[in-house]
Amino acid sequence: MTEVGDPRPIVAVLVSVVGTVGILAAHRRPNVREAVTLSVAVAKFGVVASMVPGVLAGDVYVWSLGRFVGVPGGDGVAFALRADALGLLFAALASLLWIITSLYSIGYMRGLEEHGQTRYFAAFAMSLSAAVGVAFASNLLVLFVFYEVLTVATYPLVAHDETGEARAAGRKYLVYTIGGGVAILAGTVLVYRLAGTIAFTPGGIETLAAADPVLARAGFALLVAGFGVKAGLMPLHSWLPDAMVAPTPVSGLLHAVAVVKSGVFGVSRVVLDVYGPETVGKLGVGLPLAVVATVTLLAASVIALRKDHLKRRLAYSTVSQLSYIVLGLALLGPNAIRGGLLHIPAHAFMKLALFFCAGIVHVETHTDHISEMAGIGRRMPVTMAAFAVAAAGMAGIPLVAGFVSKFYLLVGAVEAGGAVFAVALLVSGVLNVAYFWPVVYQAFFQTADDHDAKPVVEAPYGGRRASTLARADGGDEADDDGADPDLDAGDSADDTDADDPDPDVDPEELGRPDFSGETVDRDYGEPAPRVDGEYAVDRHPSDHTVPDADGADDDHGPDAGHDGNDHGPDASVGHDDNDDHGHHGGPPPGGWERRDPLGGESTWFMLGPILAATTGAVALGLVPYAAVFLRLVDAVVSAVGVVG
Amino acid sequence: MTDVLLPLLVAVPVLAAVAPLLLSLRTTETGWYVAAVTCAVEATLAAAVVRAVSLDGAVRHVVGGYERPYGIELVADGLSAPVVALVAVVALGVLAFAYTAGPRRNSFYSAYLLLVGGLMGVTVTGDLFNMFVFLEITGLATYALVAADRSGRSAVAALKYLILGTTGASLFLIGVGYAFVETGTLNMVDLADRLAGGYGDRTVLASFGFILVGLGLKTAVFPLHTWQPDAYTYAPDTVTTFISALVSTVAAYAVGRVILTVFTPAFFEAVPAARTAVLVFAAVSILAGSALAAVQSEIKRLLAYSSVSQFGLVVAGFALVTPDAVLGAVIHLVGHGLMKGGLFAAAGVMAARHGARTVGDYARLGYRSPVVAGAVGVLGVVLVGVPPSVGFLGKWYIAVGAVRAGAWPIAVVVFLSTLLTLSYVARLLERLYFAGSTEPTVAAGADADADAGTGAEAGVDVDPDPDPVADGGDRPDSRAPAAVSTGMVAVVVAAAVVAVALGFATAAFETFLGGVLP
Repeated sequence: MTEVGDPRPIVAVLVSVVGTVGILAAHRRPNVREAVTLSVAVAKFGVVASMVPGVLAGDVYVWSLGRFVGVPGGDGVAFALRADALGLLFAALASLLWIITSLYSIGYMRGLEEHGQTRYFAAFAMSLSAAVGVAFASNLLVLFVFYEVLTVATYPLVAHDETGEARAAGRKYLVYTIGGGVAILAGTVLVYRLAGTIAFTPGGIETLAAADPVLARAGFALLVAGFGVKAGLMPLHSWLPDAMVAPTPVSGLLHAVAVVKSGVFGVSRVVLDVYGPETVGKLGVGLPLAVVATVTLLAASVIALRKDHLKRRLAYSTVSQLSYIVLGLALLGPNAIRGGLLHIPAHAFMKLALFFCAGIVHVETHTDHISEMAGIGRRMPVTMAAFAVAAAGMAGIPLVAGFVSKFYLLVGAVEAGGAVFAVALLVSGVLNVAYFWPVVYQAFFQTADDHDAKPVVEAPYGGRRASTLARADGGDEADDDGADPDLDAGDSADDTDADDPDPDVDPEELGRPDFSGETVDRDYGEPAPRVDGEYAVDRHPSDHTVPDADGADDDHGPDAGHDGNDHGPDASVGHDDNDDHGHHGGPPPGGWERRDPLGGESTWFMLGPILAATTGAVALGLVPYAAVFLRLVDAVVSAVGVVG
Repeated sequence: MTDVLLPLLVAVPVLAAVAPLLLSLRTTETGWYVAAVTCAVEATLAAAVVRAVSLDGAVRHVVGGYERPYGIELVADGLSAPVVALVAVVALGVLAFAYTAGPRRNSFYSAYLLLVGGLMGVTVTGDLFNMFVFLEITGLATYALVAADRSGRSAVAALKYLILGTTGASLFLIGVGYAFVETGTLNMVDLADRLAGGYGDRTVLASFGFILVGLGLKTAVFPLHTWQPDAYTYAPDTVTTFISALVSTVAAYAVGRVILTVFTPAFFEAVPAARTAVLVFAAVSILAGSALAAVQSEIKRLLAYSSVSQFGLVVAGFALVTPDAVLGAVIHLVGHGLMKGGLFAAAGVMAARHGARTVGDYARLGYRSPVVAGAVGVLGVVLVGVPPSVGFLGKWYIAVGAVRAGAWPIAVVVFLSTLLTLSYVARLLERLYFAGSTEPTVAAGADADADAGTGAEAGVDVDPDPDPVADGGDRPDSRAPAAVSTGMVAVVVAAAVVAVALGFATAAFETFLGGVLP
């Protein structure tokens, strides 16, 4: 391995800082602004990609500003960037996917006519600078610098909606991630104290191996806990589902790739280049980390089963998948590490495709909840096909990226003598199928009028009593309903939801209260007790603004208007962000119309990126070596020198 | 040449302070020009001093040729050089702010220049009693400045400050007296020599205690801070910008000077209880200051309590007396001066433009004053300690110092201080950019903004003063600048830029401090 002085690492970081300035300057001309975003994204990827051949050949590109901090009389910490195989893996991934996401963002933000688009694109460019800075950091402190910049730069994106929910999510995000940052800083100081250096050294810092084991363990715990916040390790994950209130491209690129992977990347730097697998094994901290990761990946999958909001389900899936990577690193064997690292790009492509699908459905139909998506395959054929492919990859079905990385992980787990971890991985694969298959299945093989009940999502925790009341969401609409049961029911519900007396009740957490019986504000004055099985059948789409809503409901008799009313406010509580569009999710009255699969369903600004991300996921699954990422991973593993 | 630099540094502003008063005989608003020329000269002198220090390590001047232990010595070394630079730069910057923001009276600029002279004096003196004299000059000038808008509330705040500040100075003087009784000298270097060996002596301990409590009052470390939130809140915005950046900063510098030069780290080794006491003092200040800041609703008061917390950090750095901690303390001292000055200047601009005085008033001002709000955002984030910035640098060194010294509780508090600072900064930033657009406060702010143009009724809507009759100023919100100029905005932006840029200035700080670190 030869170190070559080269300014390209810093250029790769700065190019989008310049882009941020350009985007802000062009705030009056959206087309110029978007052109700046795209050209900067392409330039950034170009710079990063130009380093790949050299790094694969064994070079490391280094750029240094000189000493950043130091201790008087001691050796300091350089502000240096260093493009090695591991860094390039992350940088290439983030910058490549940024191009795709930028295109998608244009379609998404314009499709929804979002406010604050300049702020959005500027913060996005800045986040990417920080992410690439994280990738190329040459020591823990520089990594920390960019990690914090990333936190600050993504905050405006999380709070983008400017609703109370978004502000709360932003606050939570800041507290969690800056808190994690504090732990990282403390761990860094501790390592600096113990080892005298914090520069990344493949295979670990030697002096650290000889240091006081108790303090070394404390440092490891602090660093991993700090990075674990962004990596979504339980119990530090809860900011991530809340952050799904952000626009979908943010959820896609940042909360499935750049931000969360910066946490995972930090963990991998700590394990591989600060402590080194050997020292981690000697200190005995690998096993606890593996246990935490295993618990996270199983628990998050189980929680995902219950999430009806598609983005939240994807968020929990992300939490689960990130722990695959951490598990691979914690198992310390060469194949486990290879599988873990390969899962970084594999998961990125697949999850990006999935989020893009969720976003395009939101833009086109304002539907966010899985229970409203029955039959949506007619309306969005390409989207849901891509969703199916990516979801299959998530579950580890061969020919898609997820299979390759999971294969290595399984082999690695068995090699490392952790058969229990292999079993956990397999169980998690089954759970993946369990929470993705219903989405795919009902999209294509059911219709809005005729679909099965979803007991896992709909039933309340702890089971349902034999007899339940139909209404779960408070009595105020019921009064409206009683007074005016006919045509206006849907509209009056629309009007009242703005003044919802109990906005704190989160219908997702309760599993869609319009199905869940008595969980919320049960109105005992309600005259219509109902029996379980009827809901899914009786539930009829009527929440739209088309005036002849009731006509469609006629055949359901007296319950119909009531039911439609029931549906309206819940949908809108579930996605406040749509209120201003004056339209609720769910299928239109006649069920989903059939659209032409060749672009009839949406703009190519969004379909293109979806197909690109899906293609990437398939390419990684079919020809992982040709897709470069596996070769980078191999270079990392050989540089670390893990003994098999 | 260099031997006259130090006396000039002190004498020029003090002598020039007379000029505006004399000019008052003929004109009313010429004081600013006198101050501008003086501060420009002062900046040149400061640059020369800083350059001389970086070349020679230290500059000395024996006043009147009387050698120590009898005469007074002026010394600029690596510890004072950054503070000298800060005072000179901030004095110029605040003048740029004051040109439009006012006050314009000549007498204001007399006090202003007197304060600059006093601050420079404290910074470069090598004599403990002389330090007391300059502290008193500083204090007296500050009392006058706090009440410069002649409102009732600022007068009360100034009186409170006067009583507590004088008490602090008296305690300091008692401490100096004890030290003099013990050693027979007042020169700092001589004191250090003669105190060595007698550290356990009760007089020495008492001397240390009195000096530190006295300076703690001046620095406004919890629980001796009570004068400071009122003084900062009710002083005119120009004055708050100036004193928040410098007055407590120089007092904290005096703490560092006394600990490092007079009592020396050897004292702490001999009497570990003294060090523990100071550290506890500092740690409590960090926590309590942040907690108090987090519950404030008025911007200036919030920033004032934040200063209580940040100075706890500085004192902790000095008290750790490891090289890195002291380096961190000096960096944080300078950095905090810049950040707080910039933030208070921004608060003044916001008050003048939008009549915004409380966190609630700041709703969505990020879109109405994007440049100033952006600078507030950067300065706030720097205050939290997000790298790369001077705020991070200071915290890093203090944390490394605490870990090296094995002072784990202090290390934990230093790390926690990041989150505590975040608790109030994030609230402010969220208001600036993400407050709901339909909330009534925006409407109120808009009214105030419209009114502020006429300057007639701006305060009626927004002044938290429940009794606007009492404050007797010519405008109801007599603290706010009369108008906003480009220069004022430039000052705020410059503070933000410098605060980030200094994040890469480790080498410069180390060059200066290399010679004086323990």
